[in-house]
Amino acid sequence: METMDRRWIYLMVAIAVFIPFVFPANFPISITPETQKLYDAVEALPDSCTVMLVFDYYPSTIAECEPMTTAALHHFWRKNCKVITLSNIPLGGPSMAETVTRSIPPQYNKQYGIDFVNLGYKANYVAVLSGMGNSIESIFPTDNSGTPLSELPLMDSVYNYDDVAFIFEVADNATADYWVSIVNAQYGTPMGCGTTAVSAPKYYAFVDAGQFVGLLGGMKGAAEYEMLVGEKDKAVSGMSAQSLVHLLIIGLVLVGNIGFFLGRREEREAKI
Amino acid sequence: MNFIEIFEIWVIAFSTLALFSFLYKDNPIYKLAEHIFAGLSAGYYVGLIWDTVILQQLWNPMLDGRWWLIFPGILGILMFARFFPKFSWVSRTSLAFVMATTAGIFLISQLHGLVLPQLKATMLPLVSDAGIAATFSSIIVIIGVISTLIYFYFSKEHVGALGVTAKVGIWFIMISFGAHFGYTVMGRVSLLIGRVQFLYEDWIGSFSQIF
Repeated sequence: METMDRRWIYLMVAIAVFIPFVFPANFPISITPETQKLYDAVEALPDSCTVMLVFDYYPSTIAECEPMTTAALHHFWRKNCKVITLSNIPLGGPSMAETVTRSIPPQYNKQYGIDFVNLGYKANYVAVLSGMGNSIESIFPTDNSGTPLSELPLMDSVYNYDDVAFIFEVADNATADYWVSIVNAQYGTPMGCGTTAVSAPKYYAFVDAGQFVGLLGGMKGAAEYEMLVGEKDKAVSGMSAQSLVHLLIIGLVLVGNIGFFLGRREEREAKI
Repeated sequence: MNFIEIFEIWVIAFSTLALFSFLYKDNPIYKLAEHIFAGLSAGYYVGLIWDTVILQQLWNPMLDGRWWLIFPGILGILMFARFFPKFSWVSRTSLAFVMATTAGIFLISQLHGLVLPQLKATMLPLVSDAGIAATFSSIIVIIGVISTLIYFYFSKEHVGALGVTAKVGIWFIMISFGAHFGYTVMGRVSLLIGRVQFLYEDWIGSFSQIF
Protein backbone atom coordinates (compact mmCIF):
# COMPACT_ATOMS: atom_id res chain seq x y z
CA MET A 1 0.00 0.00 0.00
CA GLU A 2 2.84 2.40 0.91
CA THR A 3 4.49 1.89 -2.47
CA MET A 4 1.22 2.16 -4.42
CA ASP A 5 1.22 4.89 -7.07
CA ARG A 6 -1.22 7.56 -5.87
CA ARG A 7 -2.59 7.86 -9.40
CA TRP A 8 -4.41 4.54 -8.88
CA ILE A 9 -6.30 6.20 -6.02
CA TYR A 10 -7.15 9.18 -8.27
CA LEU A 11 -8.49 6.71 -10.84
CA MET A 12 -10.58 4.87 -8.23
CA VAL A 13 -12.05 8.17 -6.97
CA ALA A 14 -12.81 9.27 -10.55
CA ILE A 15 -14.61 5.98 -11.27
CA ALA A 16 -16.54 6.22 -7.97
CA VAL A 17 -17.70 9.73 -8.91
CA PHE A 18 -18.70 8.75 -12.46
CA ILE A 19 -20.62 5.56 -11.63
CA PRO A 20 -23.68 7.19 -9.96
CA PHE A 21 -24.11 9.53 -12.94
CA VAL A 22 -24.11 6.64 -15.40
CA PHE A 23 -26.10 4.30 -13.15
CA PRO A 24 -28.17 6.61 -10.89
CA ALA A 25 -28.56 5.40 -7.32
CA ASN A 26 -30.57 6.99 -4.53
CA PHE A 27 -28.69 7.18 -1.26
CA PRO A 28 -30.90 8.46 1.57
CA ILE A 29 -30.49 12.16 2.54
CA SER A 30 -31.57 13.05 6.07
CA ILE A 31 -32.41 16.64 7.04
CA THR A 32 -30.16 18.14 9.71
CA PRO A 33 -31.63 20.54 12.33
CA GLU A 34 -29.52 23.47 11.02
CA THR A 35 -30.99 23.17 7.51
CA GLN A 36 -34.49 22.75 8.90
CA LYS A 37 -34.05 25.91 10.99
CA LEU A 38 -32.96 27.90 7.94
CA TYR A 39 -35.90 26.62 5.92
CA ASP A 40 -38.33 27.42 8.75
CA ALA A 41 -36.89 30.92 9.14
CA VAL A 42 -37.43 31.68 5.44
CA GLU A 43 -40.91 30.15 5.62
CA ALA A 44 -41.70 32.48 8.53
CA LEU A 45 -40.78 35.62 6.55
CA PRO A 46 -43.72 37.84 5.63
CA ASP A 47 -44.81 37.49 1.99
CA SER A 48 -43.45 40.13 -0.39
CA CYS A 49 -40.71 41.25 2.01
CA THR A 50 -37.28 42.29 0.72
CA VAL A 51 -34.35 39.91 1.22
CA MET A 52 -30.67 39.97 0.33
CA LEU A 53 -29.01 37.00 -1.32
CA VAL A 54 -25.24 37.33 -1.18
CA PHE A 55 -23.02 35.51 -3.68
CA ASP A 56 -19.76 35.51 -1.71
CA TYR A 57 -18.20 32.52 -3.44
CA TYR A 58 -15.70 31.97 -6.21
CA PRO A 59 -16.50 29.93 -9.33
CA SER A 60 -14.30 27.12 -7.97
CA THR A 61 -16.96 26.26 -5.37
CA ILE A 62 -19.98 26.43 -7.65
CA ALA A 63 -20.65 22.73 -7.05
CA GLU A 64 -21.37 23.38 -3.39
CA CYS A 65 -22.68 26.95 -3.37
CA GLU A 66 -24.73 27.39 -6.53
CA PRO A 67 -27.35 24.78 -5.57
CA MET A 68 -27.82 26.75 -2.33
CA THR A 69 -28.43 30.07 -4.09
CA THR A 70 -30.67 28.44 -6.70
CA ALA A 71 -32.81 26.67 -4.08
CA ALA A 72 -32.94 29.87 -1.99
CA LEU A 73 -34.19 31.85 -5.00
CA HIS A 74 -36.96 29.29 -5.57
CA HIS A 75 -37.88 29.58 -1.91
CA PHE A 76 -37.83 33.40 -1.86
CA TRP A 77 -39.80 33.79 -5.05
CA ARG A 78 -42.37 31.24 -4.01
CA LYS A 79 -43.00 33.58 -1.10
CA ASN A 80 -43.06 36.49 -3.54
CA CYS A 81 -40.06 38.11 -1.82
CA LYS A 82 -38.12 40.91 -3.52
CA VAL A 83 -34.52 39.79 -3.91
CA ILE A 84 -31.42 41.99 -3.88
CA THR A 85 -28.24 40.16 -4.89
CA LEU A 86 -24.69 41.37 -4.40
CA SER A 87 -21.19 39.99 -4.07
CA ASN A 88 -17.97 40.75 -2.24
CA ILE A 89 -16.06 38.43 -4.55
CA PRO A 90 -14.44 40.12 -7.54
CA LEU A 91 -13.80 37.06 -9.68
CA GLY A 92 -17.14 35.78 -10.85
CA GLY A 93 -19.44 36.80 -7.97
CA PRO A 94 -21.63 39.29 -9.86
CA SER A 95 -21.71 37.10 -12.99
CA MET A 96 -22.87 34.09 -11.02
CA ALA A 97 -25.59 36.18 -9.37
CA GLU A 98 -26.65 37.30 -12.86
CA THR A 99 -26.64 33.73 -14.19
CA VAL A 100 -28.62 32.25 -11.30
CA THR A 101 -31.25 35.00 -11.11
CA ARG A 102 -31.78 35.17 -14.88
CA SER A 103 -32.10 31.37 -15.16
CA ILE A 104 -35.13 31.16 -12.87
CA PRO A 105 -37.50 34.13 -13.53
CA PRO A 106 -39.64 32.61 -16.31
CA GLN A 107 -41.10 30.13 -13.80
CA TYR A 108 -42.20 32.84 -11.41
CA ASN A 109 -42.84 35.70 -13.83
CA LYS A 110 -40.40 38.02 -12.07
CA GLN A 111 -39.11 41.22 -13.62
CA TYR A 112 -35.69 42.75 -13.20
CA GLY A 113 -35.78 46.06 -11.33
CA ILE A 114 -39.19 45.33 -9.80
CA ASP A 115 -38.78 41.90 -8.23
CA PHE A 116 -35.01 41.52 -8.17
CA VAL A 117 -31.89 43.62 -8.52
CA ASN A 118 -28.25 42.63 -8.90
CA LEU A 119 -26.06 45.25 -7.23
CA GLY A 120 -22.86 43.54 -8.38
CA TYR A 121 -19.47 43.84 -6.73
CA LYS A 122 -17.72 46.58 -4.82
CA ALA A 123 -14.21 46.35 -3.37
CA ASN A 124 -13.41 46.40 0.37
CA TYR A 125 -16.12 44.34 2.02
CA VAL A 126 -15.69 45.97 5.44
CA ALA A 127 -16.45 49.41 3.98
CA VAL A 128 -19.26 47.93 1.85
CA LEU A 129 -20.99 46.14 4.72
CA SER A 130 -20.62 49.11 7.09
CA GLY A 131 -21.65 51.65 4.46
CA MET A 132 -24.84 49.84 3.45
CA GLY A 133 -26.02 50.32 7.04
CA ASN A 134 -26.29 54.03 6.28
CA SER A 135 -27.29 53.93 2.65
CA ILE A 136 -27.13 51.18 0.05
CA GLU A 137 -27.11 53.75 -2.74
CA SER A 138 -24.01 55.46 -1.35
CA ILE A 139 -22.10 52.19 -1.81
CA PHE A 140 -23.82 50.97 -4.97
CA PRO A 141 -24.83 54.07 -6.96
CA THR A 142 -25.63 51.75 -9.89
CA ASP A 143 -26.55 48.11 -10.31
CA ASN A 144 -24.26 45.53 -11.92
CA SER A 145 -25.03 46.69 -15.44
CA GLY A 146 -24.60 50.42 -14.68
CA THR A 147 -28.26 51.43 -14.24
CA PRO A 148 -28.63 54.05 -11.48
CA LEU A 149 -30.50 52.64 -8.46
CA SER A 150 -32.90 55.59 -8.65
CA GLU A 151 -34.20 54.13 -11.93
CA LEU A 152 -34.98 50.72 -10.35
CA PRO A 153 -38.46 50.63 -8.72
CA LEU A 154 -37.46 47.96 -6.18
CA MET A 155 -34.78 50.23 -4.72
CA ASP A 156 -37.31 53.06 -4.11
CA SER A 157 -38.42 51.30 -0.94
CA VAL A 158 -35.02 49.96 0.13
CA TYR A 159 -32.68 52.46 1.72
CA ASN A 160 -30.54 50.45 4.14
CA TYR A 161 -30.60 47.27 6.27
CA ASP A 162 -33.72 48.48 8.09
CA ASP A 163 -35.67 47.73 4.89
CA VAL A 164 -34.24 44.21 4.51
CA ALA A 165 -36.08 41.41 6.33
CA PHE A 166 -33.50 38.68 5.90
CA ILE A 167 -29.99 38.16 4.55
CA PHE A 168 -28.89 34.82 3.14
CA GLU A 169 -25.11 34.76 2.87
CA VAL A 170 -23.65 32.02 0.67
CA ALA A 171 -19.89 32.04 1.10
CA ASP A 172 -16.80 29.93 0.54
CA ASN A 173 -14.57 32.20 2.64
CA ALA A 174 -14.48 34.29 5.81
CA THR A 175 -16.81 37.05 4.57
CA ALA A 176 -19.57 35.34 6.57
CA ASP A 177 -17.68 36.42 9.72
CA TYR A 178 -17.96 40.06 8.66
CA TRP A 179 -21.63 39.78 7.80
CA VAL A 180 -22.16 38.48 11.34
CA SER A 181 -19.89 40.91 13.16
CA ILE A 182 -20.80 44.02 11.18
CA VAL A 183 -24.35 43.56 9.91
CA ASN A 184 -26.06 41.06 12.23
CA ALA A 185 -24.42 42.34 15.41
CA GLN A 186 -24.70 46.05 14.70
CA TYR A 187 -27.93 46.28 12.72
CA GLY A 188 -29.74 43.18 13.99
CA THR A 189 -30.78 41.92 10.54
CA PRO A 190 -31.59 38.18 10.74
CA MET A 191 -29.14 36.06 8.75
CA GLY A 192 -28.85 32.56 7.38
CA CYS A 193 -25.69 31.09 5.94
CA GLY A 194 -24.74 28.57 3.30
CA THR A 195 -21.11 27.65 3.22
CA THR A 196 -18.66 25.15 1.80
CA ALA A 197 -18.04 21.96 3.75
CA VAL A 198 -14.54 23.16 4.61
CA SER A 199 -15.95 26.18 6.48
CA ALA A 200 -19.05 24.51 7.93
CA PRO A 201 -17.63 23.25 11.29
CA LYS A 202 -16.67 26.81 12.21
CA TYR A 203 -20.13 28.21 11.49
CA TYR A 204 -22.14 25.67 13.51
CA ALA A 205 -21.10 27.70 16.56
CA PHE A 206 -22.78 30.75 15.02
CA VAL A 207 -26.07 28.85 14.79
CA ASP A 208 -25.81 27.78 18.43
CA ALA A 209 -25.13 31.39 19.40
CA GLY A 210 -28.21 32.55 17.48
CA GLN A 211 -26.17 34.68 15.08
CA PHE A 212 -27.30 32.59 12.11
CA VAL A 213 -30.87 31.31 12.05
CA GLY A 214 -29.66 28.21 10.23
CA LEU A 215 -26.80 26.79 8.21
CA LEU A 216 -26.26 24.81 5.01
CA GLY A 217 -22.97 22.93 5.17
CA GLY A 218 -21.49 21.99 1.80
CA MET A 219 -23.18 19.89 -0.88
CA LYS A 220 -24.99 17.88 1.80
CA GLY A 221 -26.60 21.03 3.21
CA ALA A 222 -27.49 22.17 -0.31
CA ALA A 223 -29.09 18.79 -1.06
CA GLU A 224 -31.13 18.96 2.15
CA TYR A 225 -32.35 22.44 1.26
CA GLU A 226 -33.22 21.36 -2.29
CA MET A 227 -35.30 18.55 -0.80
CA LEU A 228 -37.09 20.84 1.64
CA VAL A 229 -37.82 23.40 -1.07
CA GLY A 230 -38.95 20.59 -3.38
CA GLU A 231 -36.50 21.43 -6.16
CA LYS A 232 -34.22 18.39 -6.38
CA ASP A 233 -31.35 19.41 -8.60
CA LYS A 234 -27.56 19.20 -8.83
CA ALA A 235 -26.84 18.84 -5.10
CA VAL A 236 -29.26 15.94 -4.66
CA SER A 237 -27.94 14.20 -7.78
CA GLY A 238 -24.35 14.77 -6.61
CA MET A 239 -24.91 13.23 -3.18
CA SER A 240 -24.91 9.66 -4.54
CA ALA A 241 -21.40 10.19 -5.89
CA GLN A 242 -20.48 11.86 -2.60
CA SER A 243 -21.64 8.84 -0.59
CA LEU A 244 -19.88 6.37 -2.88
CA VAL A 245 -16.56 8.26 -2.69
CA HIS A 246 -16.86 8.47 1.09
CA LEU A 247 -17.30 4.69 1.23
CA LEU A 248 -14.23 4.32 -0.99
CA ILE A 249 -12.17 6.64 1.23
CA ILE A 250 -13.26 4.80 4.40
CA GLY A 251 -12.26 1.54 2.69
CA LEU A 252 -8.87 2.98 1.68
CA VAL A 253 -8.24 4.27 5.23
CA LEU A 254 -9.04 0.84 6.66
CA VAL A 255 -6.91 -1.01 4.09
CA GLY A 256 -4.07 1.48 4.57
CA ASN A 257 -4.12 1.02 8.35
CA ILE A 258 -4.34 -2.76 8.16
CA GLY A 259 -1.41 -2.72 5.69
CA PHE A 260 0.56 -0.45 8.02
CA PHE A 261 0.09 -2.67 11.08
CA LEU A 262 0.78 -5.89 9.13
CA GLY A 263 3.95 -4.30 7.71
CA ARG A 264 5.08 -3.29 11.19
CA ARG A 265 4.49 -6.81 12.53
CA GLU A 266 6.49 -8.28 9.68
CA GLU A 267 9.34 -5.85 10.46
CA ARG A 268 9.31 -6.92 14.12
CA GLU A 269 9.30 -10.61 13.20
CA ALA A 270 12.17 -10.06 10.75
CA LYS A 271 14.25 -8.42 13.54
CA ILE A 272 13.63 -11.37 15.87
CA MET B 1 -28.13 25.19 -27.95
CA ASN B 2 -26.52 27.71 -30.29
CA PHE B 3 -22.92 27.75 -31.56
CA ILE B 4 -21.67 30.18 -28.89
CA GLU B 5 -23.10 28.05 -26.05
CA ILE B 6 -21.54 24.89 -27.45
CA PHE B 7 -18.22 26.70 -27.96
CA GLU B 8 -18.31 27.92 -24.32
CA ILE B 9 -18.97 24.39 -23.07
CA TRP B 10 -16.02 23.02 -25.08
CA VAL B 11 -13.68 25.76 -23.82
CA ILE B 12 -14.71 25.00 -20.22
CA ALA B 13 -14.34 21.24 -20.81
CA PHE B 14 -10.88 21.72 -22.35
CA SER B 15 -9.77 23.87 -19.40
CA THR B 16 -11.13 21.36 -16.87
CA LEU B 17 -9.45 18.37 -18.53
CA ALA B 18 -6.23 20.33 -19.06
CA LEU B 19 -6.04 21.14 -15.34
CA PHE B 20 -6.97 17.59 -14.32
CA SER B 21 -4.13 16.30 -16.51
CA PHE B 22 -1.76 17.45 -13.75
CA LEU B 23 -2.99 14.50 -11.68
CA TYR B 24 -1.14 12.23 -14.11
CA LYS B 25 1.92 14.43 -14.31
CA ASP B 26 3.00 18.01 -15.02
CA ASN B 27 2.65 18.81 -18.73
CA PRO B 28 2.50 21.74 -21.21
CA ILE B 29 -1.31 21.56 -21.59
CA TYR B 30 -1.70 22.00 -17.83
CA LYS B 31 0.77 24.91 -17.85
CA LEU B 32 -1.15 26.56 -20.72
CA ALA B 33 -4.46 26.34 -18.83
CA GLU B 34 -2.83 27.58 -15.63
CA HIS B 35 -1.26 30.60 -17.34
CA ILE B 36 -4.47 31.48 -19.17
CA PHE B 37 -6.33 31.39 -15.84
CA ALA B 38 -3.74 33.58 -14.09
CA GLY B 39 -3.66 36.11 -16.92
CA LEU B 40 -7.43 36.28 -17.32
CA SER B 41 -7.98 36.66 -13.57
CA ALA B 42 -5.47 39.50 -13.27
CA GLY B 43 -6.90 41.33 -16.30
CA TYR B 44 -10.48 40.90 -15.16
CA TYR B 45 -9.63 42.08 -11.63
CA VAL B 46 -7.85 45.23 -12.85
CA GLY B 47 -10.76 46.10 -15.14
CA LEU B 48 -13.30 45.49 -12.40
CA ILE B 49 -11.48 47.62 -9.82
CA TRP B 50 -10.99 50.41 -12.36
CA ASP B 51 -14.70 50.49 -13.11
CA THR B 52 -16.23 49.85 -9.66
CA VAL B 53 -13.75 51.78 -7.52
CA ILE B 54 -11.78 54.37 -9.50
CA LEU B 55 -14.60 55.45 -11.81
CA GLN B 56 -17.75 54.80 -9.74
CA GLN B 57 -16.46 55.67 -6.27
CA LEU B 58 -13.87 58.34 -7.01
CA TRP B 59 -13.77 59.95 -10.44
CA ASN B 60 -17.49 60.22 -11.27
CA PRO B 61 -18.54 61.54 -7.82
CA MET B 62 -15.73 64.13 -8.01
CA LEU B 63 -17.04 65.32 -11.38
CA ASP B 64 -20.51 65.55 -9.76
CA GLY B 65 -19.18 68.03 -7.21
CA ARG B 66 -17.98 65.84 -4.34
CA TRP B 67 -14.52 67.45 -4.60
CA TRP B 68 -13.45 66.37 -1.10
CA LEU B 69 -12.96 62.82 -2.43
CA ILE B 70 -9.64 64.17 -3.74
CA PHE B 71 -8.18 63.55 -0.27
CA PRO B 72 -8.74 59.75 -0.15
CA GLY B 73 -7.70 59.79 -3.83
CA ILE B 74 -4.37 61.40 -2.90
CA LEU B 75 -3.89 58.90 -0.05
CA GLY B 76 -4.41 56.13 -2.60
CA ILE B 77 -1.89 57.63 -5.02
CA LEU B 78 0.65 57.94 -2.19
CA MET B 79 0.60 54.14 -1.84
CA PHE B 80 2.42 53.95 -5.20
CA ALA B 81 5.40 55.73 -3.61
CA ARG B 82 6.48 52.27 -2.43
CA PHE B 83 7.76 51.63 -5.96
CA PHE B 84 10.35 54.43 -5.53
CA PRO B 85 12.79 53.55 -2.71
CA LYS B 86 13.76 57.19 -2.15
CA PHE B 87 10.15 58.23 -1.50
CA SER B 88 8.71 54.98 -0.13
CA TRP B 89 8.32 56.56 3.33
CA VAL B 90 5.51 58.70 1.93
CA SER B 91 3.28 55.63 1.59
CA ARG B 92 3.36 55.19 5.36
CA THR B 93 0.86 58.02 5.71
CA SER B 94 -1.72 56.07 3.72
CA LEU B 95 -0.85 52.83 5.47
CA ALA B 96 -1.21 54.51 8.87
CA PHE B 97 -4.68 55.71 7.86
CA VAL B 98 -5.69 52.24 6.67
CA MET B 99 -4.32 50.57 9.81
CA ALA B 100 -6.00 53.02 12.17
CA THR B 101 -9.43 52.81 10.54
CA THR B 102 -9.22 49.01 10.19
CA ALA B 103 -8.18 48.60 13.83
CA GLY B 104 -11.00 50.88 14.96
CA ILE B 105 -13.67 49.10 12.91
CA PHE B 106 -12.45 45.60 13.77
CA LEU B 107 -11.99 46.25 17.49
CA ILE B 108 -15.68 47.01 17.90
CA SER B 109 -17.08 44.57 15.36
CA GLN B 110 -14.98 41.59 16.47
CA LEU B 111 -15.63 42.17 20.15
CA HIS B 112 -19.30 43.03 19.82
CA GLY B 113 -20.09 40.68 16.96
CA LEU B 114 -17.92 37.62 17.53
CA VAL B 115 -16.18 37.38 20.90
CA LEU B 116 -19.01 38.36 23.25
CA PRO B 117 -21.85 36.43 21.51
CA GLN B 118 -19.66 33.32 21.29
CA LEU B 119 -18.70 33.65 24.98
CA LYS B 120 -22.34 34.06 25.90
CA ALA B 121 -23.24 30.93 23.92
CA THR B 122 -20.87 28.84 26.08
CA MET B 123 -22.33 30.10 29.36
CA LEU B 124 -25.00 27.45 29.58
CA PRO B 125 -27.02 26.12 32.52
CA LEU B 126 -25.77 22.65 33.50
CA VAL B 127 -29.33 21.36 33.69
CA SER B 128 -31.47 22.37 30.71
CA ASP B 129 -35.27 22.55 30.63
CA ALA B 130 -35.18 21.23 27.06
CA GLY B 131 -34.57 17.62 28.12
CA ILE B 132 -31.78 15.15 28.84
CA ALA B 133 -30.16 15.51 25.41
CA ALA B 134 -29.86 19.31 25.80
CA THR B 135 -28.48 18.90 29.33
CA PHE B 136 -25.90 16.39 28.06
CA SER B 137 -25.00 18.76 25.20
CA SER B 138 -24.55 21.69 27.62
CA ILE B 139 -22.27 19.63 29.85
CA ILE B 140 -20.15 18.56 26.84
CA VAL B 141 -19.84 22.20 25.69
CA ILE B 142 -18.80 23.39 29.15
CA ILE B 143 -16.26 20.58 29.66
CA GLY B 144 -14.93 21.09 26.13
CA VAL B 145 -14.49 24.85 26.50
CA ILE B 146 -12.83 24.67 29.94
CA SER B 147 -10.50 21.74 29.15
CA THR B 148 -9.44 23.24 25.80
CA LEU B 149 -8.71 26.61 27.41
CA ILE B 150 -6.66 24.86 30.10
CA TYR B 151 -4.67 23.03 27.39
CA PHE B 152 -3.63 26.46 26.08
CA TYR B 153 -2.74 27.73 29.55
CA PHE B 154 1.06 27.57 29.62
CA SER B 155 1.89 29.51 32.80
CA LYS B 156 1.84 26.36 34.93
CA GLU B 157 3.21 22.89 34.22
CA HIS B 158 0.55 20.44 33.01
CA VAL B 159 0.72 17.98 35.90
CA GLY B 160 -1.87 16.62 38.32
CA ALA B 161 -5.45 17.83 37.86
CA LEU B 162 -4.28 20.48 35.39
CA GLY B 163 -2.53 17.80 33.31
CA VAL B 164 -5.58 15.51 33.26
CA THR B 165 -7.86 18.39 32.22
CA ALA B 166 -5.38 19.43 29.52
CA LYS B 167 -5.41 15.84 28.19
CA VAL B 168 -9.20 15.96 28.02
CA GLY B 169 -8.74 19.24 26.11
CA ILE B 170 -6.45 17.50 23.61
CA TRP B 171 -9.18 14.94 22.96
CA PHE B 172 -11.68 17.69 22.23
CA ILE B 173 -9.18 19.38 19.91
CA MET B 174 -8.49 16.09 18.10
CA ILE B 175 -12.21 15.39 17.64
CA SER B 176 -12.57 18.94 16.28
CA PHE B 177 -9.67 18.36 13.85
CA GLY B 178 -11.30 15.09 12.77
CA ALA B 179 -14.60 16.85 12.06
CA HIS B 180 -12.78 19.57 10.11
CA PHE B 181 -10.82 16.99 8.12
CA GLY B 182 -13.96 14.98 7.34
CA TYR B 183 -15.72 18.11 6.12
CA THR B 184 -12.65 19.10 4.09
CA VAL B 185 -12.66 15.72 2.33
CA MET B 186 -16.37 16.17 1.64
CA GLY B 187 -15.74 19.67 0.25
CA ARG B 188 -12.96 18.58 -2.07
CA VAL B 189 -14.98 15.61 -3.33
CA SER B 190 -17.91 18.00 -3.96
CA LEU B 191 -15.71 20.13 -6.21
CA LEU B 192 -14.75 17.05 -8.23
CA ILE B 193 -18.42 16.03 -8.43
CA GLY B 194 -19.26 19.47 -9.79
CA ARG B 195 -16.73 19.12 -12.58
CA VAL B 196 -17.83 15.56 -13.39
CA GLN B 197 -21.46 16.73 -13.44
CA PHE B 198 -20.49 19.37 -15.98
CA LEU B 199 -18.45 16.97 -18.11
CA TYR B 200 -21.11 14.26 -18.09
CA GLU B 201 -24.25 16.38 -18.43
CA ASP B 202 -23.15 19.46 -20.40
CA TRP B 203 -20.06 18.45 -22.35
CA ILE B 204 -20.98 14.87 -23.26
CA GLY B 205 -24.56 16.13 -23.61
CA SER B 206 -23.38 18.57 -26.28
CA PHE B 207 -22.07 15.69 -28.44
CA SER B 208 -25.58 14.98 -29.66
CA GLN B 209 -25.87 18.59 -30.87
CA ILE B 210 -22.65 18.36 -32.87
CA PHE B 211 -22.47 14.79 -34.15
